[in-house]
Parts: sequence; C-alpha cells; structure tokens
Amino acid sequence: MERDLVEYIAKSLVDDPAGVSVNVIEGEKSTILELRVASEDIGKVIGKHGRIAKAIRTVLSAAATKDSKRVHLEILD
Amino acid sequence: MEYEFEGKTEMEAIDAAAAELGLARDEFDVEIVESVSGGLFKKGKVKIRIHLHGNAAANARKPERKVEREPDHDTPGEAAREPVRAPANPEATDEFERQVIDFTRDIVEKMGYSGKVSVLFREEKKLGLRLESDNASILIGKKGKNLDAIQLLANVYVSKLGREDIRIVLDSENYRIRREESLVRLAYETAEKVRRTKQSSLLEPMNPFERRIIHTTLNDIVDVETKSEGEGLYKQVRVLFKGAAR
Repeated sequence: MERDLVEYIAKSLVDDPAGVSVNVIEGEKSTILELRVASEDIGKVIGKHGRIAKAIRTVLSAAATKDSKRVHLEILD
Repeated sequence: MEYEFEGKTEMEAIDAAAAELGLARDEFDVEIVESVSGGLFKKGKVKIRIHLHGNAAANARKPERKVEREPDHDTPGEAAREPVRAPANPEATDEFERQVIDFTRDIVEKMGYSGKVSVLFREEKKLGLRLESDNASILIGKKGKNLDAIQLLANVYVSKLGREDIRIVLDSENYRIRREESLVRLAYETAEKVRRTKQSSLLEPMNPFERRIIHTTLNDIVDVETKSEGEGLYKQVRVLFKGAAR
C-alpha cells in the first residue's frame, strides 16, 4: 500500500521516526498522501533541490501504476 | 560441487577459479558455459563452470572468502586497469550489506512487487546490488527512472547509516550495462551525422553519468566536440562539428 511505502521510506531516512505520520485523502481517481515529519527532519525527506522528494514521488507513481491510480504526495511541515 | 567463474579469457577465468578455491589447475574439471568474444565496444567474456570431485571438493576453500581478499597482486597493471569482476557472494556478508539489501527489498515489496535483492559486486567504494523481479520492467521504468529513484533512496539511506564512503549501484536485468552500450552507439551515430551534415545536434536530457559516457566516447574524435547545455541535473549534450584538425 502506498501509505506504508511513504511511511517506511520517511521513517528510514529521518532522525526522529516517531515524528513521521502519513494522512491519506482518498479520492475517486486519485489519492493524496500528506507526509508530516518533525521540523528538523524536513530536509531529510526533501533533499537538495528536492531530489529525495522527487525520488519518493517517482517510486510512488511506479507503485501506483499497477492499480492505475494517481497518487499525489504532499510534504507538510 | 560446482562453481561458476568469469574472466576476459578462458585462461583468466581458470586462474581466478584456481586462486579463489585454493586448488591447483589439474584438481578440477572446467566446463565452458559461455564465451563472448570481444567486439569494438565490448570486452570479451568467458564464463566457466568448475566441477569438483572427491578430495578437491573437500580441500576447496569456500568461494565467499574471495570477498575479503585484496585485489590480485600477481598482475598489478592488468588488475588496476580493468578489475576482473569475479562473481561476488550474492549474500550479505556483514550487517551493513544486510541493512541496505533489506531496505531496497522492502521498498520494492511495499511498492507492491515481489523481488529479490542480492550483491552483484563489491568494490572499494561501491556496492553493486542486483534486483530480480517478475516486474523488472516496471521497476526499471522509462529510461531507468524508477531504478534511479530506488538507487537514490538506497544511497540516502546509506549515508544515514554513516557510510558516506560507499556508493550503491542498483541494477536489474543488466539495464545499466545495456544502457551504457546504447549510449556509446548513440554517440558514434550522432558524431557521424554531425560530420555529414556539418550541423550540430542536441541530444535528449541525460543525467551526469550518461553525459559523461557521451563526452568520453567522443573525446578522441578530432572533428567533433561536445558541450553540455541547460541547467540542473538533467542537462543536454550538444555535439558540434569542428572540422578536420590542423
């Protein structure tokens, strides 16, 4: 499940795994995932020039292709 | 007991097998599994299978030992130029490797695909991982996009583990090697076209690793030159006509 995927990646990369939460907003054709991490960890899931965030989104859309659904990831602080 | 080894030539593969198993060459039977002769852009490769019988099987060292060994000192020049990749032990040999393999496999599984991750090669500053999956084509993605993303996350995870000295290279279905070959071909074809039309040609956006292959391939060709254009990670290479060297 996409939620688990995002949560797993985020928890693996941050210093404070307890501060990670993912909120799922299920739509008809698309799902929005809201990722929250501790404010000190925000850089760990975004990366320089958004490289890490982009990689997470890429992996996420590869996961979503199998059930032909769109998944959007929003990173909140 | 059987083991497989590879070398650029049959002799080299047999030497590697003898050294690794700690046996003399007449103590095992050799079967040639695959023999690829070298081409213009490709090095030759011979894959052999070693059959061990009786005493030899008992005396043979476990091939896993190879992993900790220093590179071969017998042929320093040769080894330094083109390290022969003896088949690495695919299993994790320490806690660090286990963590990286588990992380990579967990990502694939949580993406909803089944997959197996093993060690492809070990170098001083690199750890090569092989991803095997029935969904390899999805996991590789267009132009390796998905494979690159998983590889990047694995590398970020590795630096989180405090091992910034190691770079992870993730491959599946030999995608990276095949991509490299097709880029070399593209470079030559583009150079030929530029020479013929005397007009520059702009290639599709590529990552730094891919651009480097284009630059180095055309570096030796005197009548064309290459230049990167654009901003960010994915720049484009332009191949220009320079004319005959004076």
